[in-house]
Amino acid sequence: MLGFKLEVPRREDSVQGKTHPIYLDMQATTPVDPRVLDAMLPYLTDQYGNPHSRTHAYGWEAEQAIEDSRKHLADLIGADPKDIIFTSGATESNNMALKGVARFHKEKKRHIITTQTEHKCVLDSCRTLQEEGFDVTYLPVQQNGIIRLEDLEAAIRPDTSIVSIMTVNNETGVIQPVKEIGALLRKHRGIYFHTDAAQAVGKIPVDVNEANIDLMSISGHKIYGPKGIGACYVRRRPRVRLEPIINGGGQERGLRSGTLATHLCVGIGEAARIAKLEMARDREHVKALSDRLINKINAQVEHVIRNGDASGYSGCVNLSFAYVEGESLLMALKDIALSSGSACTSASLEPSYVLRALGAAEDMAHSSLRFGMGRFTTEAEVDYVVNKIVAVVQRLRDMSPLWEMVQEGIDISSIDWAQH
Amino acid sequence: MNLAARASHLLATTSRRPTPRPAALPAPRVRAPPRTPGGARRTLHASAAVGHGHLTRPAPGTGIKVHWKDSKGNLIKTTEGNEGDDLLSLAHEHDIDLEGAPTQAANLCACEGSVACSTCHIVLTPEHYDLLPEPEDDENDMLDMAFGLTDTSRLGCQVKLTKDMDGITAMLPSATRNMFVDGKKPTHH
Repeated sequence: MLGFKLEVPRREDSVQGKTHPIYLDMQATTPVDPRVLDAMLPYLTDQYGNPHSRTHAYGWEAEQAIEDSRKHLADLIGADPKDIIFTSGATESNNMALKGVARFHKEKKRHIITTQTEHKCVLDSCRTLQEEGFDVTYLPVQQNGIIRLEDLEAAIRPDTSIVSIMTVNNETGVIQPVKEIGALLRKHRGIYFHTDAAQAVGKIPVDVNEANIDLMSISGHKIYGPKGIGACYVRRRPRVRLEPIINGGGQERGLRSGTLATHLCVGIGEAARIAKLEMARDREHVKALSDRLINKINAQVEHVIRNGDASGYSGCVNLSFAYVEGESLLMALKDIALSSGSACTSASLEPSYVLRALGAAEDMAHSSLRFGMGRFTTEAEVDYVVNKIVAVVQRLRDMSPLWEMVQEGIDISSIDWAQH
Repeated sequence: MNLAARASHLLATTSRRPTPRPAALPAPRVRAPPRTPGGARRTLHASAAVGHGHLTRPAPGTGIKVHWKDSKGNLIKTTEGNEGDDLLSLAHEHDIDLEGAPTQAANLCACEGSVACSTCHIVLTPEHYDLLPEPEDDENDMLDMAFGLTDTSRLGCQVKLTKDMDGITAMLPSATRNMFVDGKKPTHH
């Protein structure tokens, strides 16, 4: 034989030849768009300069790439590029915004308002601030997951420094009336409005000026960009002041020191550019898929409840299958990647605090599944998932004594359970 | 006609062409001062001379009072300035070091008032802060970088004294972005 045959040794945990579950967990993370990866690669190989190097071309080209990304990100949310601060992700942005603003104004203002359905990083930051002596009001939500503006107005105090209300909920897809909230807060001088828009940016139109948003958290890996990068919008006019969490060389307007990861910044920038171009297409695609999923499941399974608001973000469908345990449902659906709540909660077995805040009964919170569809989800995948779910729910219910009682017409909530 | 002759002919014609005058000479930017009858002295410059941050001190008791305090709130000095003076120049004039604790060698800030650094960062009292016009974006950008920023912080070089600011208190921050942590003071150069 002429030449030689090149055999690539199979690495131990290579994905070649393995089948992967169908991915329906787009709220946890999204795959990197191949176009984003293409934009990132040169900055991992040839163009490796430190973007803060001012004395040579390696630094300049990296800096230029970062400034272009900043522009793409700013364009997506209607901001000025100078307002964008790169961070490690939305969690850091939320920490930076809440702790930063609260601590900067702590001499005069000691009150923070947020909601009960925020992401854990917001709630945990608030808890930390409570330890430091701040007062926090956790607004309740209505059954559809949306806050009442009257509740918000009533909670405002003269010493309120920041209000943090997320745009799109990560578990239920509920969209808060950010524009109305912004207009309400604008009437009260000196209160800053922060919104965690990690699940909203790139998926629904967001405009920081239209909604009077002062600070906004953005995540890279929720918009088909890489993990490990996010951004915080910090309004410059009127100026929002905050105490930085990370001190150092004064990069990012002194608010977040540390050398920027050029390739990650390029990744989030390119992801933002594509998201802006394709937002209409993505929304239409996701809406069609979620309608298909909901209609097909509803047609074949009874006692299914949609948690949250039907007019929320359609790419996030949270369904409760009554008389079925969510975790056992997940175990039976091994070839589908789903989650019973947020990715952070799904490792623990506690029922979702978000669904609890919506007023869902504990058993319904336990039997919920979150379907997250996105840019690369196909109709065939949805159809496969529907068929699988219908079969599994039926099988689990057939095994359940509760289901049997329901069929016999017994009201489950009337049963007085004996403790053993 | 051979080549050399042709060339010399060309040369001759070009050299005979009159040199083109510029279409319009720029108008003189400075109008010459009227000639003195004797015609003895003419100055070349008519624009106002710009000084180098040296202020004229007002007669004691007639100027706008500025109290300077260190970061712990102890009074360093009370100075008087004229309307329109900025706090950085005033501090320099009176040997008040805006880079931390007071020393004999006064320091102008690193950028000499061109809003490119934050070393003349001062903290005002809220009453006096509210008297001032809102800071420009450039100043805010520099303040973002200042050490120990407060919500009544300003750059000294951007605070121009007015009559109603009489009695203003300017507190110096405990440090600047300068990373001389061994206590050495940068010298002015």
